[in-house]
Amino acid sequence: MGQNYLASLSHYVPELLACLTMFGLILIEATYKEEEKGRGFFFLSAYLGLGSVMTFSFFSLSKPAVTIFTNSLVIDPFSSIMKVIMVLGTLLAVYITSQSKDIEGNLKPEFVIMATGVLVGGMLLSSANNMLVLFIGIETLSILSYVLASLRKGDDRSSEAGLKYSLYGGISSGIMLFGMSHIFGVLGTINFTEMAAALKGVETAQLAILMPSFLLFLVGLGYKIACVPFHMWAPDVYEGSPLPVTAFFSIVPKVAGLAALIRISHNFFAVEGALNIGWVGVLSIIGALTMTVGNVSAIGQRSVKRMLAYSSISHAGMMLMGVLVISELGTRSVIFYSLTYLFMTMAAFMVVSFVNDKYGNDHFERFNGLIFRYPLMSIALAVVMFSLAGIPPFSGFVAKFHIFTALLTKKYYVLAIIAGLNSVVALYYYLKIVRLMVLKDAESKDTIGGFNILNQSVVVALTVPVVLLGVFWEKLLLMADGAKIFIQ
Amino acid sequence: MISLSSYLFISFTLFIAGIAVMIARKNIIAMMLGIELILNSAALNFAAYSRFVNNNLEGHLMSLFIIVIAAAEAAVGLAIVIRFFQIKETIHIDDAAQLQS
Repeated sequence: MGQNYLASLSHYVPELLACLTMFGLILIEATYKEEEKGRGFFFLSAYLGLGSVMTFSFFSLSKPAVTIFTNSLVIDPFSSIMKVIMVLGTLLAVYITSQSKDIEGNLKPEFVIMATGVLVGGMLLSSANNMLVLFIGIETLSILSYVLASLRKGDDRSSEAGLKYSLYGGISSGIMLFGMSHIFGVLGTINFTEMAAALKGVETAQLAILMPSFLLFLVGLGYKIACVPFHMWAPDVYEGSPLPVTAFFSIVPKVAGLAALIRISHNFFAVEGALNIGWVGVLSIIGALTMTVGNVSAIGQRSVKRMLAYSSISHAGMMLMGVLVISELGTRSVIFYSLTYLFMTMAAFMVVSFVNDKYGNDHFERFNGLIFRYPLMSIALAVVMFSLAGIPPFSGFVAKFHIFTALLTKKYYVLAIIAGLNSVVALYYYLKIVRLMVLKDAESKDTIGGFNILNQSVVVALTVPVVLLGVFWEKLLLMADGAKIFIQ
Repeated sequence: MISLSSYLFISFTLFIAGIAVMIARKNIIAMMLGIELILNSAALNFAAYSRFVNNNLEGHLMSLFIIVIAAAEAAVGLAIVIRFFQIKETIHIDDAAQLQS
């Protein structure tokens, strides 16, 4: 038994490294004096730690799937690539934090430490193979997120965001646990593999308990992805939190929740039957609503940060389309979508962050005539916006195209039509910002301090994959096939 | 004789009570108590199913972990409520309405 655990540890290096990074960062932060402003060494260690986590997850991509710690965790290529995406998101959010003025200097280290903790929770969630680990993952993710949302201590909006997040989070995790307890009662185990085997022999009376229980189970995950009936917290939290935190929330918890949802769907609902029909039906309604509500709410926004936050809700709905087809094609399309969405949203948030630091707000008018002052940044932002809207040469189009293909192979025509209409609506508010940048005159000639050479090159470096993934996506998919991205 | 159904009935009552508290009460501390009720109803369910039906340790494990994590969540939640109280000098949920869209 003991040897078994030691052998499991060797597959568990990325998570252990992330934990170690977190503790190391706490110790490093403790050595700084109160009056010391620069945190160069702290951020260097954060980049090094997260970078090593990413390297190790990347190398475990090519390894075959194993279950470790007495079947409670599964490390397969799918969970590894989700981990790579999450670590990349955390790294970029840490970079935005180090440059942003939206978080005070002495709170920046706290953001980095908490974000690493959220990352650990997300990694746990993406490779969970029983309900206990899933619950612990969700709670590690949530409890630290509450703190992140209320990071600006003296600010009433930030603490209100944290308050709302924790109340909604508490009730949704409670409802999820109540559902889990009845699933456990009927199936007699908390292990996903054994549950899937037990599901094959259920009777009709047991199904009558199981179906509402799975619905309650979905509440907890749906809350993390911020899909529609459970999205009430999202706009408030996204607005109240500091901008780097919003950027972080728009990618890492979503990817983690989606990974868990994909694993659950493939484990329990891949077989034809009443459960499959019910689950796919519920997910399609939720997904269609999520896309529509996110898009419609994004139209009327004045602040670009709020617009991006609402559009992240609608992108989550789009990714749900890839989840509900429950096929290898669907999974691959979700992976591709989240990878491209990571680059697009982080580049957009980075540009918005620097404009926000300069003017104190990020209303659409602040971007007037940006192309005459910072042509490179404007072109990068325009490329990202075109890609988010799904216009052909860029990767956002390819990602959406894959989702549509997955939907059409299962003949979900209505969903495909709803998704297509939503893309048209999204075009309006994404192109609005491009129009303002190009056609309007600049308000002032002031230089924006955030756009120094280093930051400009980082933004451009984030835009390059957006273009390259749009053109050379076939090669990437071939590589993905070589790495055998599938779910056990 | 206490059977499984008595436990299930009690935990269901607790669950409904928790939801009712969350909806009806406007005091933030009372709402956090409602969350505790919901979590405890789930923990009770796990223990009862483990004792009467499944005869394995997994349910008990889940109950223990739920208790631990509920404590952690309450700690963070209370810290945020205290911060909110220091700024607004109220713990009424209707006063947390600045972020309405």
